[in-house]
Amino acid sequence: MSILNIDNVSKSFDGFRAINDLNLAIAKGELRAIIGPNGAGKTTMMDLITGKIRPDQGTLFFDTTHDLTRLDEAGTARLGIGRKFQKPTVIESLTVGENIDLALAGPRGVWSALRGPDRATASRERARLLDLVRLADPGRLAGELSHGQKQWLEIAMLLAQEPRLLLVDEPAAGMTDAETMRTADLLRDLAGEHSIVVVEHDMDFVRALNCRVTVLHQGHVLAEGPLDHVSANPEVIDVYLGR
Amino acid sequence: MRQINRNMAVFLSGLFVLTVAIPLMQGQVLPDYAVQLVGKYLCYALLAVSLDLVWGYAGILSLGHAAFFTLGAYVMGMHLMREIGARGVYANPELPDFMVFLNWDSLPWFWGASDSFAVTLLLVVAVPGALAFIFGWFAFRARVNGVYLSIITQAMTYALMLAFFRNEMGFGGNNGLTDFKDLLGIPLSSPGMRLGLFIASALALAAGLLIARAITQSHLGRVLVGVRDAESRTRFLGYRVEEYKLFVWTVSAMMAGVAGALYVPQVGIVNPGEFAPANSIEIVIWVALGGRGTLVGAALGAMVVALTKTLLTGWLPDAWLYALGALFILVTLYLPRGIVGALEGLKPARKPQEVAA
Amino acid sequence: MRLIRLVLICLMLPVAALAQSFDEIATLLPDGSYEDRAARVSALAASGDPRAEALLSALAAGDLAVLKADGRLVVVTGNAAQDALTGTDAGPVTRRDVTRVRVNNNLRGQIRAALGSLGLSATDPGVRARAASQLEAAPDPTQLPALEKALGTETDPAAKSALELARATVLLSAPDAAPEARAEALSLIVARRGASAQALIRAQLDDPVLKDAAASALTHIERAEKLRGWGLTLWQGVSLGSVLLLAAIGLSITFGVCGVINMAHGELVMLGAYTTFVVQEMIRNHAPGLFDWSLAIALPLAFVITGAIGIAIERGIVRKLYGRPLETLLATWGVSLILQQAVRTIFGPNNRQVGNPSWMSGSTEVFGIALTWNRVWILLFALAVFAFLMLVLRRTALGLQMRAVTQNRAMAAEMGIRTGRVDALTFGLGAGIAGLAGVALSQIDNVSPNLGQGYIVDSFMVVVFGGAGSLWGTLAGAFTLGIAGKLAEPLAGAMLAKVLILIFIILFIQKRPRGLFPTRGRAVEG
Repeated sequence: MSILNIDNVSKSFDGFRAINDLNLAIAKGELRAIIGPNGAGKTTMMDLITGKIRPDQGTLFFDTTHDLTRLDEAGTARLGIGRKFQKPTVIESLTVGENIDLALAGPRGVWSALRGPDRATASRERARLLDLVRLADPGRLAGELSHGQKQWLEIAMLLAQEPRLLLVDEPAAGMTDAETMRTADLLRDLAGEHSIVVVEHDMDFVRALNCRVTVLHQGHVLAEGPLDHVSANPEVIDVYLGR
Repeated sequence: MRQINRNMAVFLSGLFVLTVAIPLMQGQVLPDYAVQLVGKYLCYALLAVSLDLVWGYAGILSLGHAAFFTLGAYVMGMHLMREIGARGVYANPELPDFMVFLNWDSLPWFWGASDSFAVTLLLVVAVPGALAFIFGWFAFRARVNGVYLSIITQAMTYALMLAFFRNEMGFGGNNGLTDFKDLLGIPLSSPGMRLGLFIASALALAAGLLIARAITQSHLGRVLVGVRDAESRTRFLGYRVEEYKLFVWTVSAMMAGVAGALYVPQVGIVNPGEFAPANSIEIVIWVALGGRGTLVGAALGAMVVALTKTLLTGWLPDAWLYALGALFILVTLYLPRGIVGALEGLKPARKPQEVAA
Repeated sequence: MRLIRLVLICLMLPVAALAQSFDEIATLLPDGSYEDRAARVSALAASGDPRAEALLSALAAGDLAVLKADGRLVVVTGNAAQDALTGTDAGPVTRRDVTRVRVNNNLRGQIRAALGSLGLSATDPGVRARAASQLEAAPDPTQLPALEKALGTETDPAAKSALELARATVLLSAPDAAPEARAEALSLIVARRGASAQALIRAQLDDPVLKDAAASALTHIERAEKLRGWGLTLWQGVSLGSVLLLAAIGLSITFGVCGVINMAHGELVMLGAYTTFVVQEMIRNHAPGLFDWSLAIALPLAFVITGAIGIAIERGIVRKLYGRPLETLLATWGVSLILQQAVRTIFGPNNRQVGNPSWMSGSTEVFGIALTWNRVWILLFALAVFAFLMLVLRRTALGLQMRAVTQNRAMAAEMGIRTGRVDALTFGLGAGIAGLAGVALSQIDNVSPNLGQGYIVDSFMVVVFGGAGSLWGTLAGAFTLGIAGKLAEPLAGAMLAKVLILIFIILFIQKRPRGLFPTRGRAVEG
C-alpha cells in the first residue's frame, strides 16, 4: 500500500520545466532518499506534495484517497504530512517548549487555539520529544540555540505533529559528522511507524540511511533502487560527473 | 511572559491612580480642558494598543489603522448629530444641518440606526470590524505580505478619506460632523460629562490592554508570534495563517473603533482629514517608541508623543514636524525595541525560566 | 410672424435700396422697429456709399443721435457733434440736446455683419478674410450679392476660403435661396467645419430638401464627436499616466532592487520642483534671456541634488536597517517629514510660482483634440526617462549588477558584486529620477511643500499594480491606471473614480500578489 502516489506530474515556471512527467510512489512506512543535482526539481516536488504550488498536470494522492492538489500547506499538514526545511526554521522568539507546543497534534482552528492544547498531555509529549532530540532546557529561547540544535528542535516539532509522511530537506546540512550519523539513526528508527522522504546531497548520509534511492534529474526520475545499484547506473554517473 | 505581566500591572496601577487623581483635581488644580486632553490621550493609547496587537504580535504593519478609529468616530458622531435634534442652525428636528443645507428631504438609510445609543455602541465595533474583516479576508487570503500589505492598508484609508470628502456620501463631506450638543441628554461641555468620558476612556484602555494580553498570552498568541517570525513554518505546522491574521486584525480594528468613538465626544468633531495616511503612520511611531510587542509600551508611547505634540505645537509650532521626523529615524535606528524594551534590556539578564517538564 | 416679416424684408430690400437714396435711408434710421432698422442697416451697407462705414460704426457704438433742435442726424463724440451725412461740425452739444438712436444686441450683430460686408472690398486680403468671417458669424442674407461679387474677384486663397465658408453659411441662413446652392453649401459646411457647425446643420432638419443630408451629416458628426471625446479622455489618461510614470519609476527601482519602500520619494520629487523654482528665480534676477533654458539647467541640477540626498539617505539610514523593510519605511517617512518641514521653513508654506518656458506654453490640435504643449513635453520626457533607465539597466555594468541583485541578492554577493555599493547607487538613481520628475511636474502642478504627498499613494499603487522592480510593469501600470482613472471619471466623478481604482487594485492583487509583471527570481521565503 502506498502512502503517496505521484503520477505524471509536470510543473513549469515561466516556460522552465521544473518537474517533467514525474512518477513516484512511497510505500507506507518506507524510508526513501531522493538525490539529484541542483535544479533537479527536489524542492519543487516537495512544494507540490505539500500543496504550496499546484501541478500543471498529473495527480498527487495521499493515502490513495486524498487529492493533494486541492489542499494548501495547512491542509496537507493536517492530513499528516510534515515538512522540514533545508534551512532550520523554528520560531525564534518563542521558547523551545512553546515551539513544541505549537507543533503538537490537535485542533488547528482559531477558536480552539484561544483555549490551547490540553496541558497534561502537552507537557508529557513535550518531555518525551525533547528527550528524544536531547534538548534539555525547554525554557530557552529558540533563537539562542545553535544551528544543529535548531535542526533537532525542528525535527522534534515535526514529530510532535504526529505526521504519517515526513518530508525532510537536507537534514545533515550544517551538522557535525556525529550529529549527521545520529540523524540517520533517528530517521531509520522512525521509518516503519512513519513514511519518510529525505532529500539529501551528502552521500555518506544517504549510505547511512541504507534505503531505496531515487535519482531525480531535470524534474524526472532517472533511476531508482538501492544506492549501490543506482550509483552503478551509467546515466546517473553521467549526470553527476558531467560530460 | 512574566515581564509582560509585571509591566501590565505597573501600568494599570498607574492608570488607576490617574483615574482617581484626576477627578479630585478637576476644577481645582486642573482646568476642565486638561481632563479632556488626558481623556484624548487615553483614546490614542487604546488605538496604539490595537495597532501593537497586529504589528507587535502578528507582524502586520498597518498604515491604515486610523481608518478603523475614524469609522468608530463617525458612528459615534452620527449619534451625536442626531442628539442635536432641532437645536441645529436650521432647527430641523429630523435632519442634521448639513443635510438640510444639501436640500435632502429624508435621512439616508444608513443613518437609520443612529438614533439609538445602544445600536450605536454595537456599530462602533461592528462597522470597523466589518471593514477589517472584508479587507483582511481579501488581503490575507491572497497572502499579501510585508510592505505590500502596508501599502494597501494605506490605500484603504486614503480611499476612505476621498470617499468621505464627498457630500453625496452623507457624512457631512469636507466639514464632517460637528456642533455636537450632548450625549444621553447630558451636555458634552459639563464637567460631569467630561469626567465621565475620561473615566470611560480609562476603562476602555484597561479593558483593551487586558483583552490584548489575554489574546497574546494564549496559545493563539503563540501562533501569531509564529506567523510573525516564520509564517511558512507555521503554515506547515497546519495552521491556516490567514484565519489567525483575520481574527487578530478584526479584533484590533474593533478596538480602534472603540477608541475613535470615545475620542469624538471629547474633541467635538470628526472630519475626513482623520483618515489621512499621515495620521495612520503617526500611530506606528507611538508603538515603535513605546516598544513594539509590549502592549503597555504602545499605550505609553502614544501618551508621550501626544503630550509632546500638544506642548510643542503650542510652544514652537514649526519644530513639531522636525521632532516627529527625527523620532521616526532615531527610534527605528537606535531604539528598535522602544522605551519598554530598552528598559528591560537595562535590567540584569533574566533567569532561565523553569518550565515544568 | 417675425420670420415672415424678415423674409419679406429680405425680398424687398434690393428694390428698396434702389428706390431710396443713401441719405434717405440714413435719416430713417431712428424710426420704426428694430427690425425696420436692421433692414435699413443692410441697405446702407449694400449701397456701396463710402460714408456707410463711419455711419454704421457710430450706430453700433451708440454715438449716432438726432439733434432735437432740427432733427439732423449727428455723430456725438464727447461734447462735440458732427453731421452724420455731410461731416460738417454741428457745434457743441449736451446730453439734453440730442436723442440717441437706440440699438439692441440683435441689431448690433447685424451692424457688425453689415460692416463686415464693407470690408469685403478692402485691398488687404487679411481684412477681406476677417470681413468674411464676420459675415459667417452673423449671417445676413442681404449680404449674399456682396459675397458673390467678392468671391468672383478673390485671388487670395485664405480669403477665398473664408468667403466660401461665409457664403455657404449665409446660404444656409436664407431658406429661400436656390435648393441646389443650399445643398452645396451644406456639404461645404459639413466638410469644412464639422462639429462646430452642429447648430447650423441642425437648423436644416426643417428644410424638406436638405433634411436627409443634414440628418446624415449630424449622425456623422455625432459619431466623430464621440470619437473625439474618447480621444480626449484617452489623451488625458495618457497624460496622467506619464505623470504617474515619472513619479513612480524611481520608486519602483529602489523597491525592486533594494527591497525597501522609500517614503521620502514624494519629497524628493518636491525638491526637484523647488530646484526648478530656484533656477528660475536666479535667471529672472540675473539673466532673463535664459528663461527658455531654465528647465534644461534645472534637470541636471535636480538630478544631482536629489540623487545626492538619496545616497545620503541610503548611507545614513537605509543601510543600517537592511533586512527590515518595514522599519526602513518608517525611517524614510521620518525623512520625508523633515524634508517637507525644511522646505516649508526655507520657502514658506505657500505655492511658489514656476513659469513655463515659451516652448512649453500654448497648445496644438490633433484630430480636434487640444493638446497643451507642457503635457505633450511631459509625456515625451517620461518616455525618455523610461528609455534612459532601460538603457542603464540593460547596457551598463551597474544595470547588470542591479538586475543580479534584484533576482538573487545572496548569489550576487557570492559572485563578488558589492551589493552595498549597488544599493547606494540604485537609491541615488531612484532619487535622482524623482528629482527629474519634480522638474517636469513643476510645469503642471502647484509647487508647494505638499507636492510630494499628493503623488505618494498613487505612485505606490502603480508600483504594486505593475510589479516592483519591473520597468515595463511600471510603464504598463502607470498608463493603465492613468487611462482607467480618466475613463472612470465621467462615469463616477473624480473622487469616486479614484476610490474605485483603489478598490480595483486591492482586488487585483488578490489574483496577482506580485503585480502585472512580477520580477523573476527565486522567491525569498520567510
